[in-house]
Amino acid sequence: MNPYLGGVLLGLVLIVAFWVSGRGLGASGAARSGVIAGVKAIAPGHAENTAFYQGFLTTHANPLNDWLVYQMLGVIVGGFLSGSIAGRLKFQVEKSPKITNKTRLLFAALGGAFFGFGSQLGRGCTSGSALTGMAVLSLSGFLSMAAIFGTAFGLAYFARKLWI
Amino acid sequence: MKARLILASTLIPLGLIIAAVPENTTKPYKLTAEQLLEEVNNGTQFLSPDEVADMIVNKDPSLQLIDVRSVAEYEKFSLPNSINIPLVDILSPEWESYINQDVKLNVFYSNGTNDANQAWMITRQLGYANNYVLTGGLNYWTETVMNPEAPGNASPNEEILKYNLRKGAGMALGGEAAETAPQMSVPGTKPPVQKRETKKRVQGGC
Amino acid sequence: MGPLVVYEIISENTNLLLAFIIGIGFGFVLEANGFSSSRRLAGMFYGYDTTVLKVFFTAAIVGSVGLLFMSLFNWIDLSYIYINPTYLYSTIGGGVIMGAGFIMGGYCPGTSFCAASIGKLDAFAFVGGMFIGIFIFAEGYPLWENFYNAQFMGTPLLNEMIGASRGLLTLVIILIALGMFWVGEWAEKKFSRDDYKLNQ
Repeated sequence: MNPYLGGVLLGLVLIVAFWVSGRGLGASGAARSGVIAGVKAIAPGHAENTAFYQGFLTTHANPLNDWLVYQMLGVIVGGFLSGSIAGRLKFQVEKSPKITNKTRLLFAALGGAFFGFGSQLGRGCTSGSALTGMAVLSLSGFLSMAAIFGTAFGLAYFARKLWI
Repeated sequence: MKARLILASTLIPLGLIIAAVPENTTKPYKLTAEQLLEEVNNGTQFLSPDEVADMIVNKDPSLQLIDVRSVAEYEKFSLPNSINIPLVDILSPEWESYINQDVKLNVFYSNGTNDANQAWMITRQLGYANNYVLTGGLNYWTETVMNPEAPGNASPNEEILKYNLRKGAGMALGGEAAETAPQMSVPGTKPPVQKRETKKRVQGGC
Repeated sequence: MGPLVVYEIISENTNLLLAFIIGIGFGFVLEANGFSSSRRLAGMFYGYDTTVLKVFFTAAIVGSVGLLFMSLFNWIDLSYIYINPTYLYSTIGGGVIMGAGFIMGGYCPGTSFCAASIGKLDAFAFVGGMFIGIFIFAEGYPLWENFYNAQFMGTPLLNEMIGASRGLLTLVIILIALGMFWVGEWAEKKFSRDDYKLNQ
């Protein structure tokens, strides 16, 4: 699909999200709800006592009953649909040909850990803070955008073996 | 290249339009001129001295009297538990929480009816509810409540009730003492406090 | 008049159902544009694939122009839109950490779920890492709580900070974005790689 057309469609999805519910898209919030629900199920006593979960559980009785969680389920379905239509469904590891699968998976997990931590600290990820934030012209959106992309550009040289 | 050009040629004119046109700041809850005229014709904003006196005697907590005269006149004489918002200051931000709320029944009063009615029109046009006007103002109030006419013996019950009520109110407000009469409440004509619809605040974030 | 849920035109549960449907649209568009490929996402930073730039910024400018036009026609009340609050230090600090995660992992949360749905194993690793990262944040929360809550600036808009109207800022961003698209296309030609096929 032409990327510009794709961008226009994504912008339309964003507008519909605002029109329906007053909030834009998001992603890391769903992961956070997942973690909180998991901790609550496995160790409810601990969840009651730790500040982070407490703050969340007092306002949401069921952390999984959240707008973002449903949206994320939709993303998974939508991605699957598109992949199956285009014939891209395949279990594979995507990486530069110069490294092994193991290295790639290790760095993917490490990158995920960094991203998980950073998204909680920054109160949003690229979809929620940067994309939605820029569409409503909020200062936080632009700062997020600049910080994420700027750092990634800056560190690109050091991580080049992973990709090129 | 073609896609870029189509995109640019659509978005740049749209961007120019959106930059040039001033933002739309009409709030949906303000009244139009027609709606205001209708309310003025119905006269629903008026409360008679009897109704207000009734609320004072019953110590109704939802009543809030607002004196729209100048500070000097307010300090010379004012109705009990009234606050002073001079008409010239009515739009000042410090008073907004008094005139734009949904807990109390505000009753504007002045010497006559004019100033109080103007205060009502200004606040009503902004969409604020629960504001009313004391018919006749303080002049009529003094006539009816402070020095009520004693009805003749053959007057209907209503008149006697009204007289007793006014006497009671007048007594509460420092008028002459009245003979105690069986307390019967005047059929309630107090308008209900309209709850302002509070819009839900959206949650958001990522 | 939007937002629909604020003006109680739809119920809260309908809102959640529509979240699911909007998510399907979101996921579909992401995947169809190839955002489920980590090499494509990382390619943005090496110049060989600037799809991310084009899609992202086009979506942002279409979104902002669309919202302002809708407000002009009274189809939406912009005062009820959620605006992200700005906590200066944590936004920038979190952004830096996220940038490192991006270049190492090659995904962001939204695209990782999307890629996981078509079977990318590295996306699974990313999602697993994300849960661990969030868990670490939650457990050690008191350590960084002060940093997290520092410098709360409310919910300022960029146009307020520079003293322009929303429409004017949108126009400026449109021009900047279009400029970046031209630079991106030039970079793709200059930095193209033999082992990577730019399939568009």
